[in-house]
Amino acid sequence: MMHHRSDLAASPNQTRLLGVLRSSQAEHASVAAVPAPQGRRSLLSYGLAMVVLTLLLLVLMLAGLMLGSVPVPAPTALGVIINAMTGSEIVPATWRGVYDTIIIETRVPRVILAAVVGATLAAAGMTIQAIVRNPLAGPSILGVSSGAATGAVIVMRWGLISLGAFTLYFSAFAGALATLVIVFWVARSGGQMTPTRLVLAGIAMSSVLSALTSLLVLTSPDPQLAARVLFWTLGGFGSAQWKLLPLPIAALVIGLGLMLVQARRLNLLMAGDETAAALGLNIHRFRQAMFVLTAALTGVMVAVSGVIGFVGLIVPHIVRFLVGADHRRALPAVALVGASFTVGADLVARTLISPLELPVGIVTALVGGPFFIWLLRRDAKSGERSS
Amino acid sequence: MSIEPGSLSFDKVSFAVGERLLVRDISLDVAPGEMIGLLGPNGAGKSSLLRTIYRTNRPSSGTVLVNGKNVWQQSASWAARHVGAVLQDMPADFPLTVRDVVAMGRSAHKKLLEADNDHDRALIEAALELLQLSPLQARLFRTLSGGERQRVLVARALVQQPAVLVLDEPTNHLDIHHQLQLLRFVQSLGITVIAALHDLNLAAMFCDRLCLLNHGRMEALGTPEAVLTTDNLARVFRVEATLTRNPRTNSVWVMPA
Repeated sequence: MMHHRSDLAASPNQTRLLGVLRSSQAEHASVAAVPAPQGRRSLLSYGLAMVVLTLLLLVLMLAGLMLGSVPVPAPTALGVIINAMTGSEIVPATWRGVYDTIIIETRVPRVILAAVVGATLAAAGMTIQAIVRNPLAGPSILGVSSGAATGAVIVMRWGLISLGAFTLYFSAFAGALATLVIVFWVARSGGQMTPTRLVLAGIAMSSVLSALTSLLVLTSPDPQLAARVLFWTLGGFGSAQWKLLPLPIAALVIGLGLMLVQARRLNLLMAGDETAAALGLNIHRFRQAMFVLTAALTGVMVAVSGVIGFVGLIVPHIVRFLVGADHRRALPAVALVGASFTVGADLVARTLISPLELPVGIVTALVGGPFFIWLLRRDAKSGERSS
Repeated sequence: MSIEPGSLSFDKVSFAVGERLLVRDISLDVAPGEMIGLLGPNGAGKSSLLRTIYRTNRPSSGTVLVNGKNVWQQSASWAARHVGAVLQDMPADFPLTVRDVVAMGRSAHKKLLEADNDHDRALIEAALELLQLSPLQARLFRTLSGGERQRVLVARALVQQPAVLVLDEPTNHLDIHHQLQLLRFVQSLGITVIAALHDLNLAAMFCDRLCLLNHGRMEALGTPEAVLTTDNLARVFRVEATLTRNPRTNSVWVMPA
């Protein structure tokens, strides 16, 4: 009856294909042969990408141990670490003892902190972009970074608490947590949390808190406060110490683990709220849980290193460009690239105008921004993802 | 789990936002394998009613049953294993490939951390091939044309292996060729379909029964001949229309004037 038969139903294979679609897991073995599953090749290239990214991180971390106001040769740096890890002199210590101190007490914690903060912020950024379904979002959009800054400034100005090395750390984290609670409360209405409400609540809180921070700084009798606050706000890993590391490391391990467990659901968020619900996701509860997780992670990282912008915004883009948007593949990669990015930025920050140091936040923005723009323009030209 | 046409029943379903009743007391039984079209002017409650099936609008009263079970008392993933939906949401903000988007349909069948297995891959391959998307599977979804996108969303709904397929204005933004192609394909699947449609003539061509909504109420239910009457069209759509038959398909043809 119909003459025009380019339609889908005319496919000669339809009966067979529908048979496949009807098959249950148990029947699968007996179903007629289907085309060989594709994706093997891309799996290989994914594995290869992960190996390359891991090597890149290791090389950057080694460079982080070597470079600085006192250059340390690579064999010495590795020798110090091997001896320290094994607790005996496996590598004959032909170097001066001061190198042990420089490497173990200063550079190792610094490089580890940079890697942990970068990995966490990048993974948190990728997850935030999914929960607000907007690739322009980053950890700073949740407002917790501003909250951490406000908490830190209150303590810097009045010295309310004194916990030694932990003072700023805890005050910033307290500020971040308080902000998290407020943003959560504002963004949630009737059990629902939409992307728009979450973004608007975060931005509004950020503005209020930034204004509050500025007010506290301007009205302070201490003329040095402004410089200290600015330096802290721009972020850095110079204050890294071993005793500050356990919390951020635990946050990274637990946070990334939880995100990986939920990777399939994070994928559904990208499809839109209604579709995600239709695909089996309890969307509002999931978004709330992921908001709390990412905001808490951001809070911990800001507390230990100040506000390091841009990592959580651009690294997810680079990674999606490399391995695609599926979170099951992208999250492990984003942690590696994020770590490399901050370790590399920290290297630049402490060598560019050595012996002075630049705040890392300046480097991430100055280097990251133009690179990001280049990537955007490149991405716009090619419709297909290179795999 | 497999695609077998399931039953769908609305039992006195109402849905309200605040004081406003968008769906009023709808009762409707859809038989397994039946294709039913929801018609009505803008704001009649078509989409609101469909959303009660795929767990976006929780009915303020009444129940929605799929295969005899209340979808709102089952888990979200149970619902997704029984109801597939093709909606207007377009995942175009992220660089997802066609294959990524189709693979999302398997989520409700998987446990946390469970990887895709050969069966999942076979279903995805079959759906891609069935919708003639195999050559496009590595393309980014956002670079596709409207017709291609719609086919991807249908493929995703199919790998859910649904008993009931929900279509919310599936022919929006499609040219006439692609409108016919899509509806003919869906009809050929033999599963239970409920679709909100704007085009009265397409609805008459493809649906076994039509349900006419207005202000959230059911105004008429029955065969296309019984529902598309000059009376109903004047009352609900506020148009004067002449009725005839499509000479090729013999389905009712509405000519507004």
